[in-house]
Amino acid sequence: MSEKKPKKVFIDGPITPEFVAKSIASHSTKKDIGAHSIFLGQVRNDLIGDKAVAAIEYTAYPEMADLKFHEIREAAFAAYPLTCLHIYHSLGTVLAGEISLFVFTSAIHRAEAIKACEFIVERIKHEIPVWGKEILEDGSAVWKVNTV
Amino acid sequence: MDTEKSKITLLAFGQLTDITGQSTWEMEDISDIDQLKAILIEKYPALAQAKYLVAVNMEVIRGNATLKPGDAVALLPPFSGG
Repeated sequence: MSEKKPKKVFIDGPITPEFVAKSIASHSTKKDIGAHSIFLGQVRNDLIGDKAVAAIEYTAYPEMADLKFHEIREAAFAAYPLTCLHIYHSLGTVLAGEISLFVFTSAIHRAEAIKACEFIVERIKHEIPVWGKEILEDGSAVWKVNTV
Repeated sequence: MDTEKSKITLLAFGQLTDITGQSTWEMEDISDIDQLKAILIEKYPALAQAKYLVAVNMEVIRGNATLKPGDAVALLPPFSGG
């Protein structure tokens, strides 16, 4: 059993800069933290043929995703001495240039925060049942394929 | 117990919903994953070319496995989150 309770990961629509800023601010009371590492995934305006991606529509298998996010959290806390860990992922429509993934790790020293953040992002990309449908500028759509 | 007992629930996600035309449905009298795949390909030939994993009750199963009534069988195309 873990002392860390399951947390809400999915956010409807984009993750706003204000949300990220508030998350940072809320850690000012935790004065044993010496380092934060933040990963922000942004929707890119890739060219598909000759049309640019205007947005991504994210869907998920939410129950399985929650289970996998929990496993990844547990693995991260087991592998790295983290003080704090937050993961947020968008569902629904996120426009090109907006943020769809926010991973935030905090530790006493920087090495652990940085390594843990990368570990978590890689596992999310490979293990979380989320799918992105790329909506192109002419309104047509293609399913996103992640780079390995 | 009841007439629903032989049913499993199918869940399709992402690009697979373009092939199946539905995201959740029930199927009866399916004994294992291999049988399920064969029946699905018969119904949706494009599935034969599709890349996907099968998860039974949210656990990814590689290869064949027996299915029991009430199982939730999810067809998961390659993940593309983040």
